[in-house]
Amino acid sequence: MQRTGNGPPVIELAGVSKTYVSAGVETPVLFDVSFRVNCGEFVAIVGGSGSGKTTLLNIMGLLDRPSAGKVHIAGDEVGNLDELGRAGMRRDRLGFIFQFHYLLPEFDVLENALMPCRIKGPAFQAGQERRMRDLLDLVGLGDKLKNRPAQLSGGQQQRVAVVRSLANNPALVLADEPTGNLDTRSGRVVFDLMRTLARESGTTFVMVTHDDDFALEADRVIRIRDGRIEDSARTIQP
Amino acid sequence: MKLSFFTLSVALRHLRYGVGQSLLTIGVVAISVLLIVYLRTTIGGTQRSIVGNVTGSIPHIVLEPAERTPVGAWRLPAGPGAPLYVGETVNLPRGIDSIDDWRQWLPALEADPEITVVSPVATGNAFLFRGARRESVRATGVLAERHDRIVSVEENLLEGNFLQMVTGDVVIGTRLARDFGIRMRDKLRLIGPGGQALSVTVAGIYETGSGQLDDGQVFLTLRDAQSLLELGSAISSIGVRIRDFYQAEVTARALAVSMPFRARSWIEDNPNVFRTLGAQDQTINMVLISTIVAAGFGIASILIMSVTGKYREIGILKAMGATPVEIQSIFVVEGFLLALLGCAVGIPAGIGMLEMLSNVRAPGPGGRLTPVFNIQIDPWLLAGAAGVAITVGVVAAFFPARRAGGIDPMQVIRGS
Repeated sequence: MQRTGNGPPVIELAGVSKTYVSAGVETPVLFDVSFRVNCGEFVAIVGGSGSGKTTLLNIMGLLDRPSAGKVHIAGDEVGNLDELGRAGMRRDRLGFIFQFHYLLPEFDVLENALMPCRIKGPAFQAGQERRMRDLLDLVGLGDKLKNRPAQLSGGQQQRVAVVRSLANNPALVLADEPTGNLDTRSGRVVFDLMRTLARESGTTFVMVTHDDDFALEADRVIRIRDGRIEDSARTIQP
Repeated sequence: MKLSFFTLSVALRHLRYGVGQSLLTIGVVAISVLLIVYLRTTIGGTQRSIVGNVTGSIPHIVLEPAERTPVGAWRLPAGPGAPLYVGETVNLPRGIDSIDDWRQWLPALEADPEITVVSPVATGNAFLFRGARRESVRATGVLAERHDRIVSVEENLLEGNFLQMVTGDVVIGTRLARDFGIRMRDKLRLIGPGGQALSVTVAGIYETGSGQLDDGQVFLTLRDAQSLLELGSAISSIGVRIRDFYQAEVTARALAVSMPFRARSWIEDNPNVFRTLGAQDQTINMVLISTIVAAGFGIASILIMSVTGKYREIGILKAMGATPVEIQSIFVVEGFLLALLGCAVGIPAGIGMLEMLSNVRAPGPGGRLTPVFNIQIDPWLLAGAAGVAITVGVVAAFFPARRAGGIDPMQVIRGS
């Protein structure tokens, strides 16, 4: 598969700001954030604690709404979408990886990986099963398809979550500190897998991390500080 | 509510994964349904038996001559334009009120879809003589074939026959026979209130188990009774049996309006029986409502625990694109399935218990083995019990489901 960091924008933010209001007190978190992520890019968003990077990722993932500014996903402006439309957009265009795997304990590894397909419907799930088996095999879990999440290590569970994020053939995968809850070795394995799968599938990845080592291995790093983009630099790949 | 492959499969998996809790909840629902089916059927059967015993020896409705209340001439409208009334002074006879034109009303009564049997009756007090002994009895003249469908005499006969009763025959109760030392074919004499005498032969002896009927009642042909009571071709009342004896009041009121009779229902004659049955019904309904509410709480509590325990999983499902309605549907489906499975266990168990109960027999009147419980399994009761349980299951699931549908995935992701 090709890497097309120069392809059309998968997501584009223009002048996005976010202010939380609680008990009449306004807390601005993001200020006039604008950037775009092109098709096939692997982008890392880095910043200190409380810098607004998770809020930014939530807005990109349609889990939160900006107070001002516009967000385009695959060319469509998403600001006017109602809750149902946003859920549909998440179901069809986006994949998520979180710090915790949040696998469903009632389902086995393969079923968990196929969960986004299950939401889309049985026909779609049937069409993706072969591919998900192959991906699980690729991440070293081919012999654990029938295992329950509780029977896996933390690293293995997060690998299932990474595969799951690709189940619905998303245009964009958003990863929020995907290695934050793992030991160094497991974190490295998961990160390498994300890179490999992104490369293999040509899927665009945006990863929030506070680990500079991983960030430097991304195609591009967006540094955010106090709610503002400090720097958006292309990294030099080895 | 959205039923889809996703919502159904997740709901089923939740129930299977928490099989212990699911089985407990199904058990609670099953017991509730079983109690509804069992109690309503047995109590209903007992009530039917009680009412059957009461109405077995009397008509559901008795049509009697209407009370004639004279209206004073000064009460009639008068003045210009008022109708002109023409009349004559008559003396109303005192004594037995009778229905002279009963034959003309029979077809109309028989055509009423609510009415199953119409039986003209000539009844009055008489003395029964056997040698020097004398006993006050109620002489009841009937058309045997019709009246037997109101009071089951033929099937309760110990000797002789009732349906083939002819002029000069009487059929008497076993107690009267015993007290008087009467046997089949014995000759007796009846004296009516006007002194009219009638020689009769005992053609049958019955035992219904009803003291009132077995003791002082003497059945004879309608014509003999009319002669004994000096009624001519008139009768004293018309006995009516209807399809649903609980509707006796309603039907009686309708008959009283459309016909020149006073209509007296068995309920009017036995207000205490009806009040007691009503109180019993209310008590049972309270027990059943409490049981079904407890089952509803059982379902609600298991689902509230489930929603609380799956807070993160629900959050991630919503992040992956599951809509609030889909998430709600998962838990409503769970409530529905728990109730449905409860019914699937409770209804057959209830039927099984009732079947066993219906086979219990004990000696009845005449020493015959008869069922102790009057069990009639009503398919509508089964459907109703299932309907109530499933409705309660779905309603109980609604509140935890709403809570699940409202979970904000962002809060889950933040870890709060």
